[in-house]
Amino acid sequence: MSEPAVLEVRGLRASVEGKEILRGIDLVVRQGEVHAVMGPNGSGKSTLASVIMGRPGYEVTEGAVLFEGEDITGLPPDERARRGLFLALQYPVEVPGVSVVNFLRTAYRSVKGEEVSALAFRKHMKEKMEALGIDDQIVQRYVNQGFSGGEKKKVEVLQLAVLEPKIAVLDETDSGLDIDSLRAVATGIDRLIGPHLGVLLITHYQRILTYIRPTFVHVMMAGRIVKDGGAELAHELEAKGYEGIRRELGLEETVGAPAE
Amino acid sequence: MSASTPTTTFDERVLAALPEAPAFVAAIRGRAFEAFRTLPLPSQQTEEWRYTDVSGFVFDQVPAGAESSSAPEVLDGVAADLGERAGLRLQYGRATIERRLDPALEARGVLLLDLDRAAAEHPELVEPHLHDLVPVERSVFTALHGAFRVGGTFLYVPPDVQVELPIETVTGLGEDRAAVFPHTLLVADRGSEVTLIDRYVSPPLAGALSDAVVELVVGEGAHVRYVSLQEWGSGVTHLAVQRAVVGRDAQLRTLGVALGASLARAEVEVELAGDGSSTELLGVYFGDGQQHIDHRSIQLHRGSRSASDLLYKGALKDAASAIYTGTVIVDHDAHRCDAYQTNRNILLSDRARAMSVPNLEILTNDPTRCGHAASVGPVSEDVLFYLQSRGISREEAERLVVFGFFNEVLDRIDLADIRTSLERAIADELRGGS
Ligand SMILES: Nc1ncnc2c1ncn2[C@@H]1O[C@H](COP(=O)(O)OP(=O)(O)O)[C@@H](O)[C@H]1O
Ligand SMILES: [Mg+2]
Repeated sequence: MSEPAVLEVRGLRASVEGKEILRGIDLVVRQGEVHAVMGPNGSGKSTLASVIMGRPGYEVTEGAVLFEGEDITGLPPDERARRGLFLALQYPVEVPGVSVVNFLRTAYRSVKGEEVSALAFRKHMKEKMEALGIDDQIVQRYVNQGFSGGEKKKVEVLQLAVLEPKIAVLDETDSGLDIDSLRAVATGIDRLIGPHLGVLLITHYQRILTYIRPTFVHVMMAGRIVKDGGAELAHELEAKGYEGIRRELGLEETVGAPAE
Repeated sequence: MSASTPTTTFDERVLAALPEAPAFVAAIRGRAFEAFRTLPLPSQQTEEWRYTDVSGFVFDQVPAGAESSSAPEVLDGVAADLGERAGLRLQYGRATIERRLDPALEARGVLLLDLDRAAAEHPELVEPHLHDLVPVERSVFTALHGAFRVGGTFLYVPPDVQVELPIETVTGLGEDRAAVFPHTLLVADRGSEVTLIDRYVSPPLAGALSDAVVELVVGEGAHVRYVSLQEWGSGVTHLAVQRAVVGRDAQLRTLGVALGASLARAEVEVELAGDGSSTELLGVYFGDGQQHIDHRSIQLHRGSRSASDLLYKGALKDAASAIYTGTVIVDHDAHRCDAYQTNRNILLSDRARAMSVPNLEILTNDPTRCGHAASVGPVSEDVLFYLQSRGISREEAERLVVFGFFNEVLDRIDLADIRTSLERAIADELRGGS
């Protein structure tokens, strides 16, 4: 492998509808690393994920997102994806009338170049489905239509497996799952982790971290990363709760309040 | 404007020059011509024409050539492209270019004929139905149709005869400022089964008129599928009235596709006359440029335990506009009916417009399950972002979403070649800029 790809979030401030949500975020995720970002609801985790992927409606007021050394802050989401970024949504969207396999094939061709044959794609997808224990009928169904919470997240992970990005942002891919689905989804992700994949794992609870061991843990509150550490920080959080950390650091509770 | 007939090419001289017709057809012509001269152009003050302005319409077209029987090239591609068919009728202007029907069906009494020939040879089958469901007095356009129509399709299926493969009629037009009067009269006798496809094709034509009438008589226990594919070129004004009556325990499934013409209006009405009758009404439309597409539907429940299910979906780009007005009527004596109506529109540009106007008139007190849904909106930004976040370009994402949007209808079309050609047409519409 050549130089590992790096996702860098540098001094990032971002607003939604004039309201500042991200208030100065710095993060560096290298291919092969697993970073867990943990924080209470409303702390801006999904906003961070959205801004990294270039979702419209978010205004970057300061700082930048860099990928492989280049500033990608102004690039459209599809261009970011083609460079090797991926985002698993907290709330996967329904795409009526478009089957999972059609969606995946179109995405795969976009990411890998037009010359991929239908046969080669099939084979590739089959392999990934088998590895993740995903059955055939689900990929024939329309994307996320009538899917259970578990099915939605499994298909997000399938997309991750098929598209083989360099860095993936997984936004609460563990939320809304029962124990069995959580195990299936988490072990699926864990198997994909390796020198070719860097992960920014956004989570509210630490339970997914029993399956996926993070290299680094970051605690996010009110639009800032307030504490960094190794895997042990997750356990500390578990013990103290967000409230405990907040008190320890002497932080106010407001979210999205004016920065000054 | 109340002036009924401004300068018109449709005068006594043109009427007198029409080919000779049996007495009952001549009588219809006479009545229709009278109506044409007295009826006003529809006004936007009326509910029926509120969203489509034809107040400035001028009847200055020339009835499509009777003489041109040289196989016009507009029909070449179509005939070559057809799937397997039990019968075929090609009409150009008002001349029948080709007609064939599976001899085995012919032997069993199935008739696929030019309407005028059918009127002459089988008056007992034609006279009771011609302009019965769509009276000539209905509007100035149906009046014009009744007076000047030549040709059209007559399809008769005798009792208990099942026609497996579809039968298709193609009406072609090739001259600027021409007028055609496509007419389809389908009589499916009790217990029969048949699929009829009506296709309208032309190159772009300046100021042409297609003034169409479709009458579908679905006998007791019969199963009829009717598909209308409107692929006129730009510049054509297409005004169609389609009405069906469905007998006891009979079923009618229709698909109306509106892709062409500059102004396209289709009134689709089904009278569920018999107990246990049912209908499925599907529609697909795609407007671009300055196109205006007007759909009006009526689901009229007279029989008890009758069921209707309508789903019309349209996409509009550029400065195209669409209006859908749907009415469900459940009559006093119709008990335990099911009636559903859904119209969805997807807007692919800021200048595109669509409107959906549902009406329910439930006159019975009996339990009736009724539902309607309508929506108009652009492609969801959330969905576009989701697709883009997987590397799919915005244009490709939009294409995928539009295909998905139409799949809800296409999935219900079990005629493989019609589905394929529709997919191709939608792809063309999405690609073609204007
Ligand atoms: N599209 C939006 N419009 C308005 N406010 C938003 C939007 N997205 C997020 N917010 C606000 O930003 C804050 C952070 O939300 P979010 O990033 O979803 O947090 P988390 O993912 O950590 O729960 C919340 O106060 C939320 O209400
Ligand atoms: Mg979130």
